[in-house]
Amino acid sequence: MNEPLLSVHDLYVHFPSSDGETGAVVRAVDGISFDLAADEALAIVGETGSGKTTIGRALLGLHPPGSVRGSIRLAGRELADLAEEEWRPLRWRRVAMAVQGVGTAFDPVYNIGDQIAEPMREHLGFLPDEARAKAEALAQRVGLEARHLCAYPHQLSDGEKQRAMLAMALSCAPEILIADEPTSGQDVLSRARLITLLRQVRQETGLSLILISHDLAAAAQLAERVAVLYNGKLVEVGAAKDVLQRPRHPYTWGLLNAYPNMTTARDLRGIRGRSPDSSDPPPGCRFHPRCTQAVELCRQAEPPLTEVEGRLIACHLGGLQILLQAHDLRKTFSTNGHRLRRVVQPGKYWRRQEEQAVEAVRDASLEIYEGEVVAVVGETGSGKTTLGRLLVGLLEADGGRVVFEGRGLAAVDGRQRKELRRRIQFIAQDPFDAISPRLTVAEIVREPLDVQGIGTAEERQARVQEALSAVSLPNNAGFLSRRSHELSGGQLQRVAIARALVLDPKLIVADEPVSMLDASEQAKVINLLKEIQNERGMGLLLISHDLALVRKVADRILVMRQGEIVEGGPASYIVAQPQHEYTRSLVQAAPSFSWEQTVN
Amino acid sequence: MKCRFVAYLATLWTVLTLNFFLPRLLPGDPLAALLDPESSEYVFDAEVRAALEAYYGLDRPLLQQYAAYLKGAVTGDLGRSIRLNEPVSELIGSHLPWTLLLTGTALGLASLIGVLGGAEAAWKCGSLADRLLTAASVVASNIPVYFVGMMLLIILGAELQWLPLAGGRTPFARYDSPLAAAADIGKHLILPALTLALALLGSKFLLVRNNMVGVLGEDFMLVARAKGLPPLRLKWGHALRNALLPFVAHLAAHAGMAITGAVFIETLFNYPGMGRLIFEAVGARDYPVIQGVFLIVATVVLSANLLADWLNERLDPRLEERVG
Amino acid sequence: MRATSRSAQRAGVTPLRLASALGTDAFLGSIALAFFVLVALFAPLLAPYDPHQFVGQPLEHPGPDHRLGANDTGQDILSELIYGTRISLAVGLGAAVGTMALGVLVGSVAGYAGGWLDDLLMRIVDVMMTLPRLPLLILLAAYLGSGLIQTMVIISLLFWPATARVIRAQVQSLRQRGYVKMARNFGGSPGYVLARHILPQIGPLIAFGLVTAAGRAVAMEAGLAFLGLGDPTAKSWGLMMRFALNLPGLLLTDRWLWWLLPPGLCITLLILALTFVGMGLERHLQPRLKRR
Repeated sequence: MNEPLLSVHDLYVHFPSSDGETGAVVRAVDGISFDLAADEALAIVGETGSGKTTIGRALLGLHPPGSVRGSIRLAGRELADLAEEEWRPLRWRRVAMAVQGVGTAFDPVYNIGDQIAEPMREHLGFLPDEARAKAEALAQRVGLEARHLCAYPHQLSDGEKQRAMLAMALSCAPEILIADEPTSGQDVLSRARLITLLRQVRQETGLSLILISHDLAAAAQLAERVAVLYNGKLVEVGAAKDVLQRPRHPYTWGLLNAYPNMTTARDLRGIRGRSPDSSDPPPGCRFHPRCTQAVELCRQAEPPLTEVEGRLIACHLGGLQILLQAHDLRKTFSTNGHRLRRVVQPGKYWRRQEEQAVEAVRDASLEIYEGEVVAVVGETGSGKTTLGRLLVGLLEADGGRVVFEGRGLAAVDGRQRKELRRRIQFIAQDPFDAISPRLTVAEIVREPLDVQGIGTAEERQARVQEALSAVSLPNNAGFLSRRSHELSGGQLQRVAIARALVLDPKLIVADEPVSMLDASEQAKVINLLKEIQNERGMGLLLISHDLALVRKVADRILVMRQGEIVEGGPASYIVAQPQHEYTRSLVQAAPSFSWEQTVN
Repeated sequence: MKCRFVAYLATLWTVLTLNFFLPRLLPGDPLAALLDPESSEYVFDAEVRAALEAYYGLDRPLLQQYAAYLKGAVTGDLGRSIRLNEPVSELIGSHLPWTLLLTGTALGLASLIGVLGGAEAAWKCGSLADRLLTAASVVASNIPVYFVGMMLLIILGAELQWLPLAGGRTPFARYDSPLAAAADIGKHLILPALTLALALLGSKFLLVRNNMVGVLGEDFMLVARAKGLPPLRLKWGHALRNALLPFVAHLAAHAGMAITGAVFIETLFNYPGMGRLIFEAVGARDYPVIQGVFLIVATVVLSANLLADWLNERLDPRLEERVG
Repeated sequence: MRATSRSAQRAGVTPLRLASALGTDAFLGSIALAFFVLVALFAPLLAPYDPHQFVGQPLEHPGPDHRLGANDTGQDILSELIYGTRISLAVGLGAAVGTMALGVLVGSVAGYAGGWLDDLLMRIVDVMMTLPRLPLLILLAAYLGSGLIQTMVIISLLFWPATARVIRAQVQSLRQRGYVKMARNFGGSPGYVLARHILPQIGPLIAFGLVTAAGRAVAMEAGLAFLGLGDPTAKSWGLMMRFALNLPGLLLTDRWLWWLLPPGLCITLLILALTFVGMGLERHLQPRLKRR
């Protein structure tokens, strides 16, 4: 394939704002470029107001003259500056559209058959009988019968109208079909049927498809490539599999997290911040007010679409950042400290062994991305706690490296280490252990600030109160002066979290943060952690033995066994299709309400 | 449709009954006054008085009067005119065609201009022409019809002397051929019909324009345009075809308004229609004529409503009860 | 026409602010209306003569004594015109009040009560709306005789059905509101609920109705007078036109210019003023109605 079939370059579509305010301009599409090859399907995804429908209409020249700038080349011919009369013969014949909102897409006073036949008579010069015959053939193809053709639009169901619209769109055998939200508002069965139909049609005719949708699952099933649109600009373009399974742009990542589907049991997460206003876009990168990894450059300059690992991303930082990376970590303990007893021979319990080295962690490598929740699961003694401490720096590794925000943990000197301490925090399993019983709540939460020497006394007080309210604890003077032994387990663990938050860290490693709490407290605290994490874009490494719990919050799960990471992957896959047998046994043993489980 | 027909008959019956009871219930007992030598309404002509007594039958029981009245209405006996001593039905028969000619022409003209103008204005919505026409229509639909008539009469009839000032045709004219007759009648028709059309034009223009603007904003119009259909087909085939649906109902509802306007016009232009008839009858307190005219006019308007309803059902597929 | 009421409040209510708040057409309409009202109120001071007195030569041309000349009996036309304002406004207002009174009464009872009462009342309304207006009006005028009160009554009788419909629709929707149901829960009688909760809410609607009804009433009154069904003793504009047209050959001289045209113009202007004010009120009402 040399020349692409459709080539859009630097397309701008601006309208005057419709609510009467003079001068305000809606910048629906603000400079996008993409190509479409013959017999290719591209999905343009985004939320309401992102400009996707505007693109579709621009490809048919339906916008008022003067509002479209840029280049639209169809098989080499420039379309963007055509007059209405020049557009007419191209419409439907070369590019056709199946519009959104099928309920109002048909003229109520003509029957369906006439409306399907209409473009054929106009563009192909068919006589009435020819057009009727062809319309019947088209109807059959999409699964409609002759009686549907005689009916009026109000007599057909939405699903039937959707198919009729498809038949109408295909009537002049266009080269490109634009399907604008074909699945929205439909029940799941109709939706599935429509997707199958679209696939069949593509196979039979070889036409190119532009799917405009916010339905990511449909995009996954129909398109080879996906372009993600946010507030009038493209943020990520790449192969559908890549983009939808491993999104690289923060917005795509957020979008996928917010999308309900049967694959994941994880709770939905919204994207923080507010939906954008097309008439008043933020300066610099459009997404920066809602992006958790924005830096100063993002506020100033718009990132161009650049190629990163085989796809196009519009991000100054090159996409989602890796917060933490571990390479081949190793940690060995000696048993001199009576830490481990090993049964060497049966019958000889409690025999202390000498100098038995235990490899707590062996060749562990992992990555944690910005805003991601990674869970490490395994039984007691699998090494997960050790791993957690290694990553935070509480323990020194015997081998391998930990890189946090691009800097090696080991190589840092005193001052940098202090700096680092601010950005990674640790939450231990037992709050009673991790928190001094003598201190008041205020002192506990303030401690990191005191140690780091941050701010004045009032500022510290304010941050303490802020942190306490973030974990839904009271922050009045009365509570601040309570001692830790006066608090319940759940409250204390929240205090521990507040303490971890007060330095505004970028990554939190939480070691079994809720296992010592009752079920209802567990649920609340884990939800709290998740919420804070999402809001601040923190990375969260959750160490737990409870697969069922972890499944609700984790994006990826790593399974550890005897010091090794035996399996790792997206949470939904690990749970649904565990590959390693150990993982499988973990999944089976996880708490479930299935009454058929036999006790083994 | 059937229940509408029943409603139609019910309303017709109400009109008849209203017509019957109104004079008998109102203060001053106007009918009795006709036969009372003491009152100012007393009819001196014995022959006419006898006919009135026979028609109204005021000495008979009410129910019998009612029955006789209904029978008379159905058979066409509407009494005799006091002023002209002729059967009312004949008077109506000679005046009705003129009114129908006038209102028909005016409605047709107003509808044609209103539809064409409204469609164009909607197509070019927001343009200077559209805004001017809309503003003009709003103003025009508020100017009293008799004022318009007066101005036209003065300018075109008196000052410029292009058109005759009054009448349905030249008095005492004798025509060589039907064509000459038609020409003369036509010449006399122009001013009154034009006036009435102008009075009715405003509301029709606004209705068509506003409907059409609404239709043009509908999704299916965008689809039609995306299908690459030519502008004429978009405007007439799709947009207007939809926008006209409420127009038919509007026409029916405003048939009454047309009659109202016709009364003023015929009075002003001395046009020999029903309006003129009732005007003269009122001046002379000629009750049989007044009642007769009211009855006939009400029947005509009701029938027009019924016709419009039926037509509406035919035209809008959404109203039909067909199984898909 | 954007409403800038907040800025108007802040900057003080200057005419320009008021104009942009109401919309140019409504603003102009209110000025014209105010003008007419003032003329009507101060008629004795403004009119040079008593309109009933014969103060000039019949059909005298306009001159310094008689700005618009005299009619066929020698009465001053300008004075007739000025006093005519009173008639038109009085009948307009009276008929409007009558229309609204009947319309609100029937409409609120029908809308609130529902059931068979609603059906019955609406059936009556439907029938009345189907009947052709003017012939009925003429019929009534013939029976009832002429006179200003009769005119007001007749016009009210003709226009109340349309008002009743509109009021009924509003009352029906208000009836479903929470606070109305609460009032009924407390034991409020229908009369109490209507008076205390519902009627105040439809106040703006009533105001709008009054203005539009007044416009129609003025037109109808002039029309009736024009047809000779009005009060022959009340010097209304319509009556002036009727007498003018009665003069044979009026159109062949230029007398129409100062006898026929002025009353016609005044009627038209008053109707337009009322209509524009009504349109302004309607615009003001629209968002509130939608919000409710």
